[in-house]
Amino acid sequence: MDPVTLAVLDNRLRAIVEEMGEAMLRTSYSQILNSSRDFSVAICGAEGDLVSQADHIPVHVGALPSAVQAVLAQFPAPRPGDIFLLNDPYDGGSHLPDLTILLPVFADGERCFFTVVRAHVSDIGGGTHGGYNPAATDIWSEGVRIPPIRLGEDGGLRDDLIRLLCANTRLPRDVRGDLMAMVGAARTGAARVEALLAQHGRDGLLAVVDAILGLSEAHARRIVAAWPDGIWQGEAVLDDDGHGRENITIRATCTKRGSDLTIDLSGSDDEVAGIVNSSRPNMLSAVAMAFAYLLDPEVSKNAGAFRPLSVIAREGSIVWAHEGKPVTLCTSHPGNEIVEAIIRAMQHCCPERAMGGWGRRFRVAIQGRSATGRKFVWHLFHARPGGGASAAGDGFNTAGEWHSAGGLKFGSVEQAEARFPLLFEAHEFRANSGGLGQYRGGTGAELRLRVESHGPALANTAGDGVRHGSAGMVGGPDGMPHAYTLLGADGAVRELRSKEVGVPVQPGDVLHLLSSGGGGWGDPGKRAEVAKQSDLRDGYTA
Amino acid sequence: MRWRIGIDVGGTFTDLVAIAGDGGTVMAKAASTPADQSLGVLAGLANLAAALGVGLDELLSRTEHIIHGTTVATNALLERRGARVAMLTTQGHRDVVEMREGLKPDRYNLRMAPPEPLVPRHRRIPVAERLRADGRVETALEAPALNAAIAAVGEADAVAICFLHAWADPRHEATAAAALRAARPDLFVTASHEVLPEIKEFERFSTTAVNAYVGPVVARYLGRLAGRLAEAGYQGAVFVILSHGGVAPLADAARLAVGTALSGPAGGVAAAVALSAMGIGGELVTFDMGGTSTDIASITQGRATLGRGREVGGEVIALESLDIVTLGAGGGSIAALGPDGRLQVGPRSAGARPGPACYGRGGVEPAVTDANLVLGFLSAGNFLGGAQALDLPAAEAAMAALAGRLGIAPLDLAAGIFRLVNARMADGVRVATVRRGIDPRAATLLAFGGAAGLHASAVARDLGMKRYAVPLLAAGLSAWGMLRTDLRYEVTRSVSVAEGVPPAATLAALYARLEDEARQKMAEWFHGPIDTTRSASMRYGEQVFEIKVGLDGLDWTRGDADEQARQAFHAEHQRLFTYQLPEDEVVLVSARVAALGRLGGAAGYFSRPAMTAPGARRVFLGGAWREVAVHGFFDFQPGRRLEAPAIVESSTTTVLLAAGEFVEFDPRGWLMVTIADG
Repeated sequence: MDPVTLAVLDNRLRAIVEEMGEAMLRTSYSQILNSSRDFSVAICGAEGDLVSQADHIPVHVGALPSAVQAVLAQFPAPRPGDIFLLNDPYDGGSHLPDLTILLPVFADGERCFFTVVRAHVSDIGGGTHGGYNPAATDIWSEGVRIPPIRLGEDGGLRDDLIRLLCANTRLPRDVRGDLMAMVGAARTGAARVEALLAQHGRDGLLAVVDAILGLSEAHARRIVAAWPDGIWQGEAVLDDDGHGRENITIRATCTKRGSDLTIDLSGSDDEVAGIVNSSRPNMLSAVAMAFAYLLDPEVSKNAGAFRPLSVIAREGSIVWAHEGKPVTLCTSHPGNEIVEAIIRAMQHCCPERAMGGWGRRFRVAIQGRSATGRKFVWHLFHARPGGGASAAGDGFNTAGEWHSAGGLKFGSVEQAEARFPLLFEAHEFRANSGGLGQYRGGTGAELRLRVESHGPALANTAGDGVRHGSAGMVGGPDGMPHAYTLLGADGAVRELRSKEVGVPVQPGDVLHLLSSGGGGWGDPGKRAEVAKQSDLRDGYTA
Repeated sequence: MRWRIGIDVGGTFTDLVAIAGDGGTVMAKAASTPADQSLGVLAGLANLAAALGVGLDELLSRTEHIIHGTTVATNALLERRGARVAMLTTQGHRDVVEMREGLKPDRYNLRMAPPEPLVPRHRRIPVAERLRADGRVETALEAPALNAAIAAVGEADAVAICFLHAWADPRHEATAAAALRAARPDLFVTASHEVLPEIKEFERFSTTAVNAYVGPVVARYLGRLAGRLAEAGYQGAVFVILSHGGVAPLADAARLAVGTALSGPAGGVAAAVALSAMGIGGELVTFDMGGTSTDIASITQGRATLGRGREVGGEVIALESLDIVTLGAGGGSIAALGPDGRLQVGPRSAGARPGPACYGRGGVEPAVTDANLVLGFLSAGNFLGGAQALDLPAAEAAMAALAGRLGIAPLDLAAGIFRLVNARMADGVRVATVRRGIDPRAATLLAFGGAAGLHASAVARDLGMKRYAVPLLAAGLSAWGMLRTDLRYEVTRSVSVAEGVPPAATLAALYARLEDEARQKMAEWFHGPIDTTRSASMRYGEQVFEIKVGLDGLDWTRGDADEQARQAFHAEHQRLFTYQLPEDEVVLVSARVAALGRLGGAAGYFSRPAMTAPGARRVFLGGAWREVAVHGFFDFQPGRRLEAPAIVESSTTTVLLAAGEFVEFDPRGWLMVTIADG
């Protein structure tokens, strides 16, 4: 393979997915996409192999091959101009709010690629607004299920199907706008890939793609081969399922031999009643994400890089629930705990590569009326937890969770105050929250948020990590767990659990949210004196 | 004879252009002096005087004004050599600049230490004060709290004052700034409402922190430059070109130093706008390829687009600035094996030191310029008119070392580097055009900077562009562009956040007030003709991002200016995003008026580059050595079609032309090449 052609086409494929991502950012309608960037794009091969992806939300991307395979199982012979859509976690999706658009790309009448766009929409029906329903004990209470469907053919869209979908969400305009943006981005990518196919020929481009995947595989194998062989175990524990089950454990057994790594999750606890079960694609994606985090960041995240990786899991367990179980929280939980269990195991194999745990998600959504009587729904993206420490140094403060790793943005406090009846009395780093190892986990945040709604409001929560902090690694301590309370204007103090619906909030009440810090890395006794001093001076510790 | 002088300080060379009252234009250059750019500027002025055949004192005493593009702020940010900054900020919110809204660069790198914040946490001093979004006082700013905060500043060079909702009402910030300036006249003091009076605290605070960080450095540099110019006998005005492409007097540029972060590449865009006005024809895409980076921008209907939210050195600068795409690749970019064994060009660059291997200053890795030399595209003895001698054996040795590791012939590697860098440049042009909804095929690629001429044909072809142009000034084009732009001063006011567009009368009065303010300031700078232009940032009710809407076309006397503004927004949204929502609420978030002072003066005509004598050269093209003709710019009469590839060389640049192209020298000062079909 001519190394120059390979380098040129590799760059071009990357430029295409970046262009698709840019199109999403600029044209999507809902805040969760255009501001918080909860979407991902990729080019996959004819059978679903991941060829190229842009750096968006890590937990999406390892799941996209499953989406292509689900489409092909339903439509074995896609035609040029077809547009596919799915979200069903039991048929190619991860969780219901993530819609996935797939466009097959052809050359000489043969299917060569798919362009894929996955995006989290603001509402997908179900029992509560916003997609997360901690009360759900089955998937039908979580929203509308879309198995792989042909949303359009000959390049045109089926408006009747779009109306069906929009009729099943509380935010039809957002969902329609976002869907249009997704189709637009996928079309843009498909047009660019078609141009490449025309320029280099089908065989030429496919040969280059094979070679690119081969190089990435060799790159990943070189890294893995340098680690010692052996078998390691790690676990991570979820607080609860919101329906009485506590301490739900994810267990990873990692077997490293030569340049291969096998992750066995079959020892994990059984599936549960609540929304912390995982779909199979999401589990596969979380494992791929953990593996990618252990490799060098420069390794291209494509099918080649993941070839050294094998996954074993058990249907009916928390990481791979039977059809019908609720799974909406899975991209966060147990997605994050799957990563954490694997990294915990691998810290004994490659300690320099294992990073301290990143935070767990703990979201709050408030709905009520403002002084003008206008209805509002506000989603918490502030008070992010801290990132984990690593051998490279301290963790990022308030950079978020494993599943997004600094890829989700919280909005402007000024803008939130201007648009919602909220007063952010304080929003700062939370001292002492990061696990204080040789390197300190990033700090979480302290948020004091006064609710000034007109009349009572209601809050829902969804998340985990009130009892279990982000894992410390290689001798570093865990980060402090979340501690959320509602301070009543009347003096009452209510601890918020991580999976509640219908929490009454009175005007003047203050949400006092302390988010978790990241896990520490390495023996605390080895922390440099100068680092301790500057932590104190800067108030990261107190 | 009176001159106007443009000075463009680049990473490797400082380029200067002087235009005389009669339009006669002369160019000169000198090596850049990164430690103190003003030394290179003075050396360049001496060279310019020599080229004009006058003494430096005579040149300076007869110069009307100097316009300067500087990379001092950019370099201070990139190299993290700015001032020690403290920040006074609203109690309870002192981590805004370090939280960065939860975003972290390099998604899959979970083993990286966070960057040091420009203002470390212990120098972010909380002040007990708080405003509401509507400007109401929640917590009053009391003197004891303010005095305690001022006392806590201690050792620092600069202070950024960043209070929540200062966009809605600047009174607390203004009070704090006045008290601090009185108590500590030694400090560079800047407040967020002075820098960017708009909602969104992270963008505003970050921009203000950057202003404090680069302010003292830029002020020192500009002071030194003014001092050296005064010593050399210059008494005229010095203007600095800013990131938005307009120019401002020295003192104002120092006060809003963050506005000079894109001063460097702004001259090139200004030049493209000027060439467009001169009738170069059609839409333009600038392709300014220098030693370490390449700047690309599009000129549509004679105008450059402005954007917000630029990052320099990882720091967010939310001021309006030219929408320039900068690629970390240029003539000095190094070719190397990536960690997975793939051939890469850049992002590492040999820079000015050691420079490409062929500069003979100790570089051993092959750079793009080395490949161009090995392929015969560049002449060892006549690179940039002899400004830099090139060492062919050193380039060949560097090429052979890497080629050996790849298992290919050195010449094939050189040809591969050429191809690869062309493809990267083409991708950069795609980002600057296609991704912004502009079809490059209908545009002309305007190639300038020292290195672009060799790559223009290949890049244009890759994109399906039909024409490219290479100005005679080439490396000096940015300096010339500075002399073709206007003084610009902007006034912005936040209007509304949650609710609609103000009634027509209120809106008209607001814009009239802003226009008065902008005109008054401009009149202090400038006594010539002043124009103004009005715009607004607007969005649909539920959106997060605003778009800029030009309001110059409104009839303000008609009494329905608010409705006209809404219609203008719908239309602009349709143009940008392919849809509009006529039934949705439209919010006018901020109003803006820019005053433009037309500096005027002759466009200039450059006629004096030394041309290589016509001849022939052996180049490696299409996998084989072949002899191609070497021409000067003036050898091309209209309609001449090239039967074979050819090289055009002058003291400013080298151009590689492909067979089948129609080449014409336009007497207004550029080579226009039309790519025939097939």
